[in-house]
Amino acid sequence: MRRSLRRLVLPAGLLGLILLLALAAPLLPLADPVRQNIAGRLALPSANFWLGQDEYGRDVLSRILWGARVSLSVALAATIIAAVIGTLLGILGGYFRKFVELVTVRLAEVVLCFPPMLLALLVVTLLGPGAGTLVVSLGILFAPAFACLAYAETLSARALDYVTAQQALGAGPGRILLRTLLPNIAPPLIVQFSLTVASAMVLESGLSFLGLGVVPPSPSWGLMIRGARATMEQAPLLLFWPCLALAGTVLVLNLFCDRLRDALDPRAGGGGPAGFLRRAAALPGPALRKDATPGLLRIRGLTLEITGPRGPVAVVRDVGFSVAPGKTLALVGESGSGKTLTGLAVMGLLPGAVRVASGEILYTSRDGATRDLLRLPEAELRALRGRDLSMVFQDPSSSLNPLLRIGSQVAEALPRAPGRMARVVELFRQVGLPDPEGRARAWPHALSGGQRQRVMIAAAIANHPRLLLADEPTTALDVTVQAQILELLAGLKRSEQGMGMVFVTHNLAVVAQIADRVAVMYAGEVVEEGPVAEVFTAPRHPYTAALIAATPEGEAERLSAIPGAVPQAWAMPAGCRFAPRCSEARPACAQTAPPLQSIGPGRATRCLRWKELA
Amino acid sequence: MLAFAARRLAVSLALVWVVATLVFLVIHMIPGDPAELLLAQGGVAPDPALVADLRERLGLDQPLWTQYATYMGGLLQGDFGLSLQDEHAVADEIALRLPRTLELVATAGLLSVLIGLPAGVLAGLRAGQLTDRILSGIAALALSIPVFVIGTLAVLLLAQKLRLVSAGGYVPFATDPLRHIGLLLMPAGTIAFGLAAVVLRVTRGAVLEVLEREHVRAARARGLPAGAIIRRHVLRNSLTPVVTVVALHLGALLGGTVLVEFVFNWPGLSGYLVRSVEARDYPEVMGIVLVVSAIFVLLNFLVDMLYAVIDPRVRQG
Repeated sequence: MRRSLRRLVLPAGLLGLILLLALAAPLLPLADPVRQNIAGRLALPSANFWLGQDEYGRDVLSRILWGARVSLSVALAATIIAAVIGTLLGILGGYFRKFVELVTVRLAEVVLCFPPMLLALLVVTLLGPGAGTLVVSLGILFAPAFACLAYAETLSARALDYVTAQQALGAGPGRILLRTLLPNIAPPLIVQFSLTVASAMVLESGLSFLGLGVVPPSPSWGLMIRGARATMEQAPLLLFWPCLALAGTVLVLNLFCDRLRDALDPRAGGGGPAGFLRRAAALPGPALRKDATPGLLRIRGLTLEITGPRGPVAVVRDVGFSVAPGKTLALVGESGSGKTLTGLAVMGLLPGAVRVASGEILYTSRDGATRDLLRLPEAELRALRGRDLSMVFQDPSSSLNPLLRIGSQVAEALPRAPGRMARVVELFRQVGLPDPEGRARAWPHALSGGQRQRVMIAAAIANHPRLLLADEPTTALDVTVQAQILELLAGLKRSEQGMGMVFVTHNLAVVAQIADRVAVMYAGEVVEEGPVAEVFTAPRHPYTAALIAATPEGEAERLSAIPGAVPQAWAMPAGCRFAPRCSEARPACAQTAPPLQSIGPGRATRCLRWKELA
Repeated sequence: MLAFAARRLAVSLALVWVVATLVFLVIHMIPGDPAELLLAQGGVAPDPALVADLRERLGLDQPLWTQYATYMGGLLQGDFGLSLQDEHAVADEIALRLPRTLELVATAGLLSVLIGLPAGVLAGLRAGQLTDRILSGIAALALSIPVFVIGTLAVLLLAQKLRLVSAGGYVPFATDPLRHIGLLLMPAGTIAFGLAAVVLRVTRGAVLEVLEREHVRAARARGLPAGAIIRRHVLRNSLTPVVTVVALHLGALLGGTVLVEFVFNWPGLSGYLVRSVEARDYPEVMGIVLVVSAIFVLLNFLVDMLYAVIDPRVRQG
């Protein structure tokens, strides 16, 4: 059973118990809830009256249980009315739009303009107090919320393919609305239903408390609290019981709603605390590595895990490559191959759900010391970010805070000193932004996608980093702009002396243009590494060969696609991960997972048959 | 910005007009003659002469559109008519009581933001940890206790058992400022108890959502310290949903202080409304509903302005 469902058991059980007690009130051996007994006025709990007697000597326990019937039936009846009317209006408005929408949804919105308690009082004025009035007024009160919710859900559902398909098949609107749309928009409506029951109970008891709801002598929790108020100094227990019953029931209902929402929407919740408040390193152990030979960046045996339904799942396994100063390494692979996660691991910016299982990321800083970034405490790693290590992300439009001016965001990367803004303008000029002074004062939404990416690059190079990670920096941009950004990055390689770059991409044409070396990733593993020219002319892994064959290039006669899809992280083949899609696979490939083996100076492959295929 | 404000203001004024018309129609369209309803005592049919007299006094004998014109004309001059019970000008009574309710609502709102916002940010940043569980647990509990229960229990505990404060009442600020504030804090604190929990939950959710956004990750990549990330990139971006929810609740409170005013004997607008409802005093009910709805609309207008201050994108849209 899923965890979210397990968590639903307790509130659901309690809720069931409350409903059962309310339903069973006539069957239980209870005293008459309205029979008065002046001799037993304000009596304390006794064997006959477990919770004591009230100001008229009536049995409190009996009144609580009978009161539950009144409160719950008023709340449920009102909620059912509100749900039926509201959902109907919302669905009709959302499905037919135009005039129907005007008279249904817009009307509901006008009703929402009134404060709820005020509206309830208005209805009570017109109809007079009583349980019937309560049901009507609460029904009117809560219907608009259902209407707006059903309307919004219908709008998003009616555009879906299966609804369009039904229309094309000639199904009438009644059939589509009831059989297709309603079941699909049901989950949020169910949550809204239980929320509304709780709100209706609170409002009902409030109105009864004011003397404008349930009419005495019918027992109702609100009325009981009203009655106990007069004598609360002598008999505080009398006040306590109905308060406990009311607050307890509402608490159970609210808890039920929260858990129900989690169960219906598995994406919600989870997460964990913010990553930047973490203090410890990703892995234990000393970070400083005196024995290591210096080099800009060397990754070895990097394995990243997420927690799946059946234990940990490796999303990146045994990844290794190195980057020399002034050189560019391209990290290539299909979506979901683990390229981006590898880049984020270098920066220490992995999302909370991803855990470093093992490996090392050695980085030699300006002072010549070599440190393992995976074992570096967050505070020291933070000091490297933006100064030694920089990253440019895939989508420039979401990488900028929409509420802060551009210049002020780029200035964050620079040390606090006079002339900071002048430096920002200078950076903007360097990355080729038109009107750099004006751009510094502009808001992010005033810039085009390409300009925003130039801003992100300006922030990344502000402190002359030694390593720049570019995570698909052109994917989200127009084709013409892509070329300009690539040109800018290629230019930076020349102007920023000694800056190494890791360029994450799925585009082989870009690799040839910008990179010195290439590491090809497949299903979380590096399958081949080597100098770009060598790998492209003589690939030593069938996946690399297939990727090259699948790339449109000049006058190629025909493109070949790779059959099948990347396996899911929790269903990896036991042997070579590419074997199920590989045209060269032999039975041996499905049995043993091949290691990444060196096949010459600076070249490596993860294929058992590389010699035969060469 | 100015054009944006003018456009929103026009929409708000139109809404007030719609509400005024709606209130007028609801009162006049329901079956049954208000004059007859008013004079009917215990199911005994009233004297037709008396009914006719009252109908004339209320202007009910005139055609609907004439009544509507008179009503709207009166509204434009700030005239809400006379109370049926004591022939007081409804506008005067509203002018006396409205500031007291507004003071109560504003104090409650301020208290709940002062408590709920920092607690919600803390719970969001420490999501899943002990701090968050304790804070969220308290919030869930506070949300489940109806406001009149909290108020009544507060009176029992703080006023009657511990004798720390008086059970309720009202003293004008000019007469005794300290006592005025003391008497204000009990009902305001009672409202803030539940409202702070709402603010906490919304803030926590908003912070959690913003933390996942890419611009926060980008700010971390620039090497910003945790404090600066929270201040510059998380807090302000989390504010929009908080503003929406607080405004919505403050608006709902304009009519919803009824219970608290009743518990603490606070002579605000809501108590007046309950009295009018009980007496079926139509001019009073109409006047109060209209004023409260108008303030509600005004509040929504102010919220839109606040969005524009928070988010530069709104100013253009």
